[in-house]
Amino acid sequence: MTDLPSLLARDPQAFVTRDYAEGFALDEKERDQAQLEAARQRFATLAPRIAPLGRMAAENGITEVTRWEDLVPLLFPHTVYKSYPLSFIEQGRFDRMTKWLGSLTTTDLSGVQTEGIDTIDDWLRALEAGSDLAPIHTFGTSGKLSIMPRTKAQLDLTVRINANCIRDFQPQANGQKRDLLVDHLPLISPSYRLGASSIARGMNRQAELYAGGQDNALFLYPDAYFSADLLSLAGRLRAAEARGEAGRLTLPASLIARRDEFAAREAARATDMDRFFETALHRYGGQDVFLFAVWPILFEWAEEGLKRGLKGVFGPGSILTSGGGSKGKVLPPDYKQQIFEFLGFERCLEFFGMTELMANAPRCDHGNFHFPPVVVPFLLDPDSGEMLPRNGRRTGRLALLDLLPDSYWGGLVSGDRVTMAGFDAPCACGRHGPYLEPDIARFSDLKNGDDKINCAGAPEAHDKAIDFLLEKTQ
Amino acid sequence: MSAPFRVPLLLRGEVIEQDWIEHGGRRGGAQFTAPDLAAHLPRLPLANPSSLGELYSLTLDEIIAFLEQLGDRLVLAENPYLQEAFELSRLTSGLSDPILRYHYEMIPAYFRARSVRDIAERTIGIDYLEGWVRQPDADRGAPPVSIRAVGARGVHIIAGNVPVVGVTTVIRNAITRSDAIIKTPSNDPLTTAALVRTMIDMAPDHPLTRHVSVAYWKGGDERIEPALYDPRRIEKIVAWGGFAGIKHLTRYLQPGLDLITLDPKHSGSLIGKEAFADEATLQHVAQRLAVDIGAMNQEGCVNARVIHVESGTDAEGIKRAERLGELTFAALQTLPQHLSTPHKAFDRELKDEIDALAFVDDEYTVFGGRSNEGAIIVSRSANPVDFARQLACRVANIVPVDDVSEAVRSVNSYTQTIGIFPESLKTRLRDQLAWHGAQRLVSLGGAATHNQAPGPQDGIEPLRRMVKWIVDESGDEAALAAQALG
Repeated sequence: MTDLPSLLARDPQAFVTRDYAEGFALDEKERDQAQLEAARQRFATLAPRIAPLGRMAAENGITEVTRWEDLVPLLFPHTVYKSYPLSFIEQGRFDRMTKWLGSLTTTDLSGVQTEGIDTIDDWLRALEAGSDLAPIHTFGTSGKLSIMPRTKAQLDLTVRINANCIRDFQPQANGQKRDLLVDHLPLISPSYRLGASSIARGMNRQAELYAGGQDNALFLYPDAYFSADLLSLAGRLRAAEARGEAGRLTLPASLIARRDEFAAREAARATDMDRFFETALHRYGGQDVFLFAVWPILFEWAEEGLKRGLKGVFGPGSILTSGGGSKGKVLPPDYKQQIFEFLGFERCLEFFGMTELMANAPRCDHGNFHFPPVVVPFLLDPDSGEMLPRNGRRTGRLALLDLLPDSYWGGLVSGDRVTMAGFDAPCACGRHGPYLEPDIARFSDLKNGDDKINCAGAPEAHDKAIDFLLEKTQ
Repeated sequence: MSAPFRVPLLLRGEVIEQDWIEHGGRRGGAQFTAPDLAAHLPRLPLANPSSLGELYSLTLDEIIAFLEQLGDRLVLAENPYLQEAFELSRLTSGLSDPILRYHYEMIPAYFRARSVRDIAERTIGIDYLEGWVRQPDADRGAPPVSIRAVGARGVHIIAGNVPVVGVTTVIRNAITRSDAIIKTPSNDPLTTAALVRTMIDMAPDHPLTRHVSVAYWKGGDERIEPALYDPRRIEKIVAWGGFAGIKHLTRYLQPGLDLITLDPKHSGSLIGKEAFADEATLQHVAQRLAVDIGAMNQEGCVNARVIHVESGTDAEGIKRAERLGELTFAALQTLPQHLSTPHKAFDRELKDEIDALAFVDDEYTVFGGRSNEGAIIVSRSANPVDFARQLACRVANIVPVDDVSEAVRSVNSYTQTIGIFPESLKTRLRDQLAWHGAQRLVSLGGAATHNQAPGPQDGIEPLRRMVKWIVDESGDEAALAAQALG
């Protein structure tokens, strides 16, 4: 078998064939060299084919990546995947949207038909139908969603690597490993099965690959489509409200046409959630399951369940993936304890991730987030943008090079302020390689206070958008 | 971290320096400690409103003389309180040192007798401040009416973007013979304190000193605000500041409590096709535009951000708009130091947005924007950038239009100043602009530098709102009694 460093250097995507934990055993030098070689190749392949990358390289006189410093001026700002003007969407110029997205990927978009399209949802469907893309959108700030030109094959790969992480990162207490790709579990997710958000796409694929098919999966919304248009409206509404200008927003006609559908779903949300919860207990109670949910929703269930005397409702071999903190909701200090008491298992994986990344960083028992070797994290000086030395423990702006994508450039400067360590000394958990400490903040929040729509905030923003939609169209 | 700055509580002529608690400054630039206001809260509001009466033992001339004397002591080079305030502002302000110094050195001028008298006369009328003004008889037989403008008890929540806000507040409070509790902002907790502390040094028992307090508490503090914002204790809240800050105040509003908002607005420019008459004219326009964008480093509400230009939107028109962008950026780079400099804490998020424009380079042309030098973004269509609301740090967006009427539609009630070229366009559009919501129309180049004449601000007359207008009606005694007999 080829050793991992040579494999990573030659083909980072082949990481999917390996033990996920192997990456955390690499020593600093071999990891660094392998990553640098992979970065060199990615740049050499993509720079001639992705015009903005080629231009940035030319402007900075960089012809080859031979050291990490070469890469810093080639990192895209995190705003790149939402750099399109909103007027393209507002004026229905989806041909321009396609052209814009096409400049950021090597995927051939010439077969994408945008005639007659006037919504983001339909445009995303058109991209999927007319190309290799399975584009994903973020939850957006200010109503502008980032659109990632991820391919169908890449979507599949992210789900498989995630399964490897679940299998290898923290084996079960008895040392056994469960490969969800082989040894399926029913999947439970209080979210949408359809849509192009990172969660909807990921969960849908996980239902196929982890649960063995949609029949073995339970979604809160199995048939409704998570609308990017409504999400965009929600974000724009929030931004407009923050400025006291909500009355000035104009609504696309196609959204108005769907108002009844949205309104009905909103009205039924509470009962749908109750029914979903009941079905989950009825269909899968006592069994091992794969559960994906954010903490506030889990706590709601636990509180309700424990009140009704329900404890240990799922099997001990179940797996939870969660994360995202309390998302601004006030939870009691022992919320996790209550949740686990209710669920009946404690196996839980949390991640630091972002839609822009194909592989996220799982959290260890010491609270730190460990990057798999296919993602290269950097720290930049928040003011100058210069790279901080890759050693010791430092705080700065997080930048990342995702080595997995082969059709778009994975180099990105994030908006997050993080503290990173692990370059030269392992984490207390024993894993080698760079990791983030749990205190992670967005620079924008540090300046403005929390004014972001995050994953948990999205439903609430959705509801407000629906209210607004109804009010404006009465 | 050490907290070298101490912000005393100035309570009706008394300097309180105890019960310290720590506060963090904005932009992470400075921390300071201030007395915990909760411990002194009962003494903060004016318990007995009739003690405003002692301000009426002073004539306006005496008030003006007092302020002039105060102004003489507010010379930055000589006043240690102001020097300390300046030092703290250097850490927290978006203004760089030369601009900040210029504004601090301007402070005494605001207190000059002529300037103060002008404000009193032109915003309220000295006769109304000094006594009861008999009104012209309306109808034959109507009873004679006299009106007086009388001071009120107010909390002033002031902004910290420029030092003049505190100066204005102190002067307005004095000439209206009001009682002010000034809540200072975390990014400038010391400037207003320096003014009032100087007053205390000068005359601690003077009625004007005893009717102004300066305090810092964290906005929204539940221990303070519900107790203070109560019509039994104050009658007016004058609030400068962001939408969020004002919105949380609205829960305290009830009859008897008047909220006067001087909220942040956005300003812009309108440039007519005459600007493109020839290169010399365009150069002239670019210079004036650069001042409207760059003065005070674009930290004011008055600064231009989105600039609509009647250049046309065809290829030639875009080229014209780009030429204006190029010239304006060049002019911005050579503005005098006391007016404008590269921003010392360039907004990171804004930088990320500017960087992203490179990925749609057929939509925008960017001059500058590489570091902290500022930028002129020229839209290549009639659409402003999506982050128009974030424009700051000397970054402006030129938007070409075919007809200025398109630009008029972008004006709304959040628009404050519009700088206009040429004059004839201002005259032609001023009614329309006013109906749309614009509040101040000014010749291009004067938006941020005209010493604003005393008068309306943000579409209202704040001094006339700060006082109470009291009516005295007299009637014929026999006629009044006769009413009872039918």
